[in-house]
Amino acid sequence: MKIFIIVVSLLLANATSAHEMVPTYPKLEPSFMEGLHKTTMTMFNKRADVDYYEIGVFDANWIPIPFVTNYTVFKIPYLSTVSFDVFIRDQDINNAEYICSRSKLKKSDRTRTSVSSRICSRFKNGSGE
Amino acid sequence: MLKVNKLSAVFLILVAGTTPALAQSETQINGVVQSRCIIQTDSSGTFGNPNAYTLTTSPQDGGEGAVIRVDVSLADAYYVNITAPSSFSSSPSLPDTVTWVGDTTVKTVSDATGMGTYESTKVELGMADRYDLTATGSTWFETVSTAVMGGSKAFPGGNYTALVIAECIAQ
Repeated sequence: MKIFIIVVSLLLANATSAHEMVPTYPKLEPSFMEGLHKTTMTMFNKRADVDYYEIGVFDANWIPIPFVTNYTVFKIPYLSTVSFDVFIRDQDINNAEYICSRSKLKKSDRTRTSVSSRICSRFKNGSGE
Repeated sequence: MLKVNKLSAVFLILVAGTTPALAQSETQINGVVQSRCIIQTDSSGTFGNPNAYTLTTSPQDGGEGAVIRVDVSLADAYYVNITAPSSFSSSPSLPDTVTWVGDTTVKTVSDATGMGTYESTKVELGMADRYDLTATGSTWFETVSTAVMGGSKAFPGGNYTALVIAECIAQ
């Protein structure tokens, strides 16, 4: 039965689209710039219907925290992986709790529901370190 | 006898000569297993239009619910929030307010023992359903949605899109 489920899962995986971000528990470390800490995240886009993902950093109450990346919205072509650095001010590292990526959907010309996916990693213990 | 010894010596020299080459050909394959959450869209869903003032994902009315699969590789590391739509993300101009009804349920699990209580222990808050992913593996969630136009007025012609939001959040 387990083998059957695994096989079905693998077959379904080929027909589906996925959004993935790692690590689950990123660590902030001092960056080359004074006053900033950084962490590196990696995203994989297996959603053919999505080309762009938006990054956000939040505190424990989901209030946005200032951060810097190369782009706030990353273009990640289908079936490609992107790694990016996220810089957070030293004064904010104790408040930073979540770092999230959210799919940006295109306007549809069909009457339907669409799935917006968001994955959030967590700075363990809220300290980021 | 002397000839055999010479052959043995040559053989040993050859083996000794090739051994370093064999050692150099060994290659390490390194890998890191880390916890992760993957959100997959099995079906993005479709609205059926059983009457002029209703849009619904009910299969009986020509619709299809959104099916979302969530894979986790570490137990107790993530929870999932799935929020049914409460507005259209794109639509024609509407003549009245729309009443929304939506719900999310566990459709299938890969581990009936570890995930069997997901549906009974979920936390519902409005349109959002929260599931603690306490086991590793795959879980399929289905979200159904119905939109009814106020005053039984007809939905204007055009395309309508509503968003189901699936969030996988590290604990």
